[in-house]
Amino acid sequence: MKIKAKLQKDATEVKLLLTSPMVGKEESALKKVEIEYITHVTAKVNGKVVWEASTGPFLSKDPYFMFNFKGAKAGDEIVIDTIDNKGKTETDKAVIK
Amino acid sequence: MKRRKFLSLGAVAAAASVLPASLSATDYVATAPKAWEAPTSKEAIEALFGSAAMIDGQIEIKAPKLAENGGAVPIGIKSKLELTTIALFQDANPRSAVVVFEMPENGIADLQTKIKMRKTANVTVVAKGKDGKLYSAVQKVEVSIGGCGG
Repeated sequence: MKIKAKLQKDATEVKLLLTSPMVGKEESALKKVEIEYITHVTAKVNGKVVWEASTGPFLSKDPYFMFNFKGAKAGDEIVIDTIDNKGKTETDKAVIK
Repeated sequence: MKRRKFLSLGAVAAAASVLPASLSATDYVATAPKAWEAPTSKEAIEALFGSAAMIDGQIEIKAPKLAENGGAVPIGIKSKLELTTIALFQDANPRSAVVVFEMPENGIADLQTKIKMRKTANVTVVAKGKDGKLYSAVQKVEVSIGGCGG
């Protein structure tokens, strides 16, 4: 997981790159690999959810997201949680610059 | 032996009930499974948002007119409205729903992601505003090399 969070005027811009093959039903049958994709991503700052995504296997491999939100300061920490279809979770964090 | 089994069952149940709550407020994959199985955008949108009227022209979809690599088609969504839920659909793959974004309070409707499209098709965005109204936008994206499954 790669996170970049940058304060621009009053909004924080977050660029997020996750690691997952994002393999759905059809791709799994075709390539003979297991179904594996991230189903939910949450971004929190100071314990509050600022952005969430419910995701399906038609996002590209190693999904990329950019999103913006207000209300954070430079130096705040953004925490990203993900869970995949098998229940595997990942957490990472970055400081807002 | 029985007691041990009982205890371990309890631990599993506790872990299962705690996990989703801590991770998410609304997991649309879990709460609206029908929407993720729907083959067309129309059906998926109805499963998620119902069939209420939608307002056009307030959301901008930034997508290439011609996408060379269908495995990663960049899609940008932008609006001046205050939107709390933004969902992305396409008609290029076996199922329509791609992603549902949620921004509870301080979100700005300026998002980007990359999606798979195995053929030329329409990309649809449906969003719910803070005012409770539904907004939508559609854009056609031409794909020269398909990206779904190879």
